[in-house]
Amino acid sequence: MRKVALVGAGVAKFGVRQASYRDLIWEAGKACFDSVPAIRPRDVEGLVVGSVMPERTAFQSHISSMAAEALGIKPSALSARTEHMCASGTVGIRYAYAFIAAGLADLVMVLGVEKLNQPTGQEAILNMGTGVDREWEASFGLTAPPCFALAAQRHMAEYGTTEAQLAAVGVKNHNHAAKNPNAHFSKGATVEQVLGSRMISSPLRLFMCSPITDGAAAVILASEDRARGLTDAPVWIRGTGQALDGFTLSSLPENYARWPSLVRAAESAYRMAGITAREVEVAEVHDCFTIAEIIATEELGFCGKGEGGPFAAAGRSDHGGDVVVNPRGGLIGCGHPLGATGVAQAAEIFAQLRGEAGPRQVPRARIGLTHNNSGMGEHVVMIYGREAA
Amino acid sequence: MTYFRAVDPFPLESERYTKLHEFYTRLGQGRLVTTRCAGCGRVAWPPRGFCPECRSDRFEWADLPGEGTVAAFTVQETGLPAGFDGPRVFAVVDVAGHRVFSVLREVAPEKVAIGQRVRLTPMRVDDDPEGKPRWLPAFSPV
Repeated sequence: MRKVALVGAGVAKFGVRQASYRDLIWEAGKACFDSVPAIRPRDVEGLVVGSVMPERTAFQSHISSMAAEALGIKPSALSARTEHMCASGTVGIRYAYAFIAAGLADLVMVLGVEKLNQPTGQEAILNMGTGVDREWEASFGLTAPPCFALAAQRHMAEYGTTEAQLAAVGVKNHNHAAKNPNAHFSKGATVEQVLGSRMISSPLRLFMCSPITDGAAAVILASEDRARGLTDAPVWIRGTGQALDGFTLSSLPENYARWPSLVRAAESAYRMAGITAREVEVAEVHDCFTIAEIIATEELGFCGKGEGGPFAAAGRSDHGGDVVVNPRGGLIGCGHPLGATGVAQAAEIFAQLRGEAGPRQVPRARIGLTHNNSGMGEHVVMIYGREAA
Repeated sequence: MTYFRAVDPFPLESERYTKLHEFYTRLGQGRLVTTRCAGCGRVAWPPRGFCPECRSDRFEWADLPGEGTVAAFTVQETGLPAGFDGPRVFAVVDVAGHRVFSVLREVAPEKVAIGQRVRLTPMRVDDDPEGKPRWLPAFSPV
C-alpha cells in the first residue's frame, strides 16, 4: 500500500450558526484550501463528504456532488458521501485513505458538514433519534443521552467513578475550548458549574454533554509523491481501525461500561502504526458525554480499565499529563456537528503535529490519535505521525 | 393533516408494512412474543426475519414471559425529542435472558431500582395513518 498524508485542513466556526448547510461547506472548504495554497480546487481528484442527516435538516440528498459544485471540485477518481452517524467524518477519511493507498486517487478532500439547529428547537432532537433503532428504541423517545447515562451508571457502580470525576472531564474540555476560536463554547467552566448544571439523563448533567451544533471541517489527503510536492510538513496516516459490537442496546455487551469494539479498533490501529498507547502524545477522543471520554481513555490503553475517572481528575489527560486529550475542546466544548466532528478531530491533529495549534499546542507532539464513535457499540481510530513510519 | 412518514416516530406495524406484524397484533392482546428461527430454533431479541446462524428467513412466534427485572435504567428529565415528555424512565429489562429496551410507566422515577420486578404493560401510541391502533412494549412495576 502507498503512504498517505494530510496536506491541508480547515474548520468552520462551530456553534448555533446563522448559516445555511451550503454556507458551512463554503466556510470549511475555504479554510482548508487556504491552508495549502499549492492546491487549486480543480486539482482535487476526489471528494468524500461525511454528513448524517441533510435529508432532514436541509431537505437535501446528493450531497457530494452538491459540495463539489460549491467548492469548484471536479471529481475524477472518487465522489461519495459517508453516513455513519457520529463517526461519519472519520469513516470518510478511511475511504479517502484506502483509495489513495490503493493507487486509485492521489488527491482527495474529505469534508464533514452538519446543520443541526432548526427554527424549531425540538426538531433537532427529534432528528437525533434517527441514529438509534427506529422500531425498538427511537419509537420510545430514545436518543444518545440515556444510552451513555446507562454506561455512566454502570461505570460508577462497577469502578466507583464519581460525579466529580465525570465533571472533571467537562471542566477540562470547556476550558480547552476557551482557547479555540472555532469552538461552540468560549467561556470555560468550573466544577461547581458542571455539577450545578441541570440534569439531562441521570447521572449526566448539561455540562457533561455535547450540545446541538452546526459546523463543518475539511482535510485534504495526498499520496506520498503528491504530498511531498505540496508541503514541507505533511502529517502521515500511520494506522487505522474500525470495529462493531452491535447496533441496539439489546445486542451490546451487557456491561455498558466496557467497549470491546474500541479495544479491537485501537489494537488494529496501533498494530498498523507499529506503536503502543504510551507513545500517543495528543488525542482527540469522542467525548459526546464525559463518561465517553473516561471509558475511551481506558479502552485506548491510556490508563487501566476502571481508572478513567481518577486519570482525568488527576490531570493526566490534560496539558502536562500523560497524554493531552481533546486539546481543541472535544465534542463537549466544540459541539458535535455529527459528520463534521471526525474531520475536525483530524484537523486538530494536523495542526498539533505541525506545531501550528497556538495556545492549544502540545509541545513537540509527534504522534496523534483520533477516536470517533457511532453510539457505544462502534468505534473508529486513526493514528497520525509527524514521520511517515 | 396529511400523514408524513418522516415525522412519525412510531413504526408502521400492520401486515401491509412489516413482516413482524404479528408481534404487534399479539402485543395489543397483552402478549410479548419474539421470533424463533424455523431452521435452527434460536430465539432472538429483538425479533428478526433472517437468522445469521443458519441463514433461514423463516420463523415462528415464541411467547416470552410477561414479567422481567430491571437490569439498567436512567431517568431523562430534559432534552427529549418532540412529542416525548420528561421525566422519562428508560430501562433495559431482562426478560428470560433477553435484554429488552423499553420505558417504565406508572412508577415514581426515584422509586426505580436495579433488580426490580416489572410486568409488560403494552403502551398504546398514535394510530397509524390508516387508523389502526399501534402498540409498543412498555413495563410497569409488579
